[in-house]
Amino acid sequence: MSIVVESDIVRLVGACPVEDAEPLLLALQDDPERVVDVSAMEGAHFAVLQLLALFARRIEGDFADPLLQRLSFAAPQPPAL
Amino acid sequence: MMDELLEQFLIEGRDLVAQVQGDLVALARQPERRDVLDSLFRAVHTLKGSVALFEMAPAERLLHRAETRLDQARRGDAVLTAEDFDGFVATVDQVDRWIDDVERDGRLPADAETRSLALAASLDAAERPAAVPETTGELPDWTAPIVRSAAAADGACAMAAFRYRPDPDCFFRGEDPLTVVRAVPGLLAMELQPAPDAPDLAQFEPFRCAMHLLGLSSAEPDDVRAAFRMVPDQVEVVRLRQGESEPGAADTAPADPGEGGGMLRVSALRLDVLAAEVGQLAVALNALEATAERAAVTDRALAAELRRVQGELSRALGRLSSTVAEVRRVPLQPVLRRLPRLARELAASLGKDVRFELAGEGAEVDKQVADAIFEPLLHLVRNAIDHGLESAERRAEAGKPATGTVRLSFQRSGDHLAVALSDDGKGIDAAVIRQAAVARGLLDEAAAAALTDRQALRLIFAPGFSTSQVVTDVSGRGVGMDAVQRAVERMQGSIEVESTLGQGTDIAIRLPLTAILTRLVTVRVAGERYGLRMDQIHETLRIDPAEIQELGHGRACVIRDRTVPVLSLAALLGHEDTPGAEAARLVVTGAAGERIALRVDAVGERMDAAVRERSGLLAAMPAIGGTAVDADGGVLLVLDLPELLS
Repeated sequence: MSIVVESDIVRLVGACPVEDAEPLLLALQDDPERVVDVSAMEGAHFAVLQLLALFARRIEGDFADPLLQRLSFAAPQPPAL
Repeated sequence: MMDELLEQFLIEGRDLVAQVQGDLVALARQPERRDVLDSLFRAVHTLKGSVALFEMAPAERLLHRAETRLDQARRGDAVLTAEDFDGFVATVDQVDRWIDDVERDGRLPADAETRSLALAASLDAAERPAAVPETTGELPDWTAPIVRSAAAADGACAMAAFRYRPDPDCFFRGEDPLTVVRAVPGLLAMELQPAPDAPDLAQFEPFRCAMHLLGLSSAEPDDVRAAFRMVPDQVEVVRLRQGESEPGAADTAPADPGEGGGMLRVSALRLDVLAAEVGQLAVALNALEATAERAAVTDRALAAELRRVQGELSRALGRLSSTVAEVRRVPLQPVLRRLPRLARELAASLGKDVRFELAGEGAEVDKQVADAIFEPLLHLVRNAIDHGLESAERRAEAGKPATGTVRLSFQRSGDHLAVALSDDGKGIDAAVIRQAAVARGLLDEAAAAALTDRQALRLIFAPGFSTSQVVTDVSGRGVGMDAVQRAVERMQGSIEVESTLGQGTDIAIRLPLTAILTRLVTVRVAGERYGLRMDQIHETLRIDPAEIQELGHGRACVIRDRTVPVLSLAALLGHEDTPGAEAARLVVTGAAGERIALRVDAVGERMDAAVRERSGLLAAMPAIGGTAVDADGGVLLVLDLPELLS
């Protein structure tokens, strides 16, 4: 299992496939303040990454992937739409 | 500054030449390989960009012609012919020579322009307009955020910006936009941007793509576009004005497309230092072993503790040294890049038609080996083409194809590299070798007759041995096969020769993949300590001096029913020879081809040490193979036994 949803934190572990997008979206819809911990995430499908970029307010840990390290994540505000 | 730039160019330019040569060979074999064609195009393109930084206009023009021709092939507007390949090979050979000229003389030779024109004729291709129109006016608005963010970050020279707007349904087709972007050559920066119609959190659908990806690349717009060839309608690529993201400084650095992040170019010298330090660590560990032994006399518990610590250090050192060995491993290709050209030139000068095949040149070896391998291989290739291959008429008489083949291949086998050089020439006649050996007084007729063919063939490695009746200006008299053997032995390798008369010759070389720590044994001679390489020694033994007999002009003893000549190492090294009456200590070596026992005063400890190439004053002393630092911190001279006994 590459996504673990707990009460106030979502942990992404290993390589997260496209299927992880759904539980991650549900977890964030359920509580938009949930922290997403990426410290154990080795890689992720773009479907997962776009959720992090658009909706995750707090991201914990560093990305292992150098390409992702250079991106600015964490949406401080929900998109205006 | 200029010197640094030139230095960088000499390295990168030659890497690119090697890549072009490799791609040309691969493409000639498999013309349908689109990826190879792309790689070839990129390498030629980058090489053109590199030479443009120096006074090499003829090279730049020539490469531009080649690039244009390749681009036509990529677009399906032209099919590459054999003439095209010949033209490309001649072009890259010429550029390679010009790089040598620039290194040596700082400029191109006077005839560069003429040569360039002659070669360009073979590459004649209609110039086509550039595929991507130069952006001379304002850049599109969408480039602003990515150009801004890149300017803040590190900036190699950005040549192209792209905006990739994936189809919202792309996930359903199994596509991952990030994977597509990863393939962009020379990617410098990337940004994510929500699509204007991205739904909010409550309405969001997990499997619809709602983001755009913006990026900058140091590669040409065309090359960036190639990464998006599966989704051409979803991407926009624009050429940035020179230095858009980082005005000034960076735009003189040659772009390095295709190289992903995380790669580092480290000076070879630093790696040598690192390897030497690891070697020093091994030496310190050897000292700890001696300390533990001394401690055992007074305090067994302390000695046991020391041994435990030593064991742990030794394991850690083992891991460290294998990591360093891995880092020091370099591909052979850059070293070998000159060989195909030199083989072609040599064949042309001898009027022979030769196909030179290279295989497995991507194999990786220790830098020490890579540095030392070119000369002996060049010598072998020269010998094969000059002496091995017959003239076209002779080949026709023998019913062979007019084109001779010389094949050089590399293959990793366990912890060794197997190098094989074969030719389909006339082979080596063992009978001729025997006669020549007798004629040169190397051995008498009876001894020559007693040799098997295989043993007779090994005589070609004897110093100064030659069988060629004709002296050519290429290989001389075959002088140098002994030098080849010595070079191989210095790399701790071995060389074998096999030949079938009329069919050709095979030479097999085995080289270690790693060569950092060398096992040494120390010996004491005339009050001095020397190191001997364990791989040059069969055994050490102690015998009664009475067993050493006077025999002819020398001395010998019998070891396991074989008579072995005994030499005094002290005398060989120019010390006074004062053999003691007590037990004689012998070191038996086979390094010079036959078994020889060397008499020494004492055989000391064994150790692993980093042997440094001899330098300075020592370079003039052929018997010294290098130096090592022993456990006491003293410098130990390491003898080169084959050299000493030759």
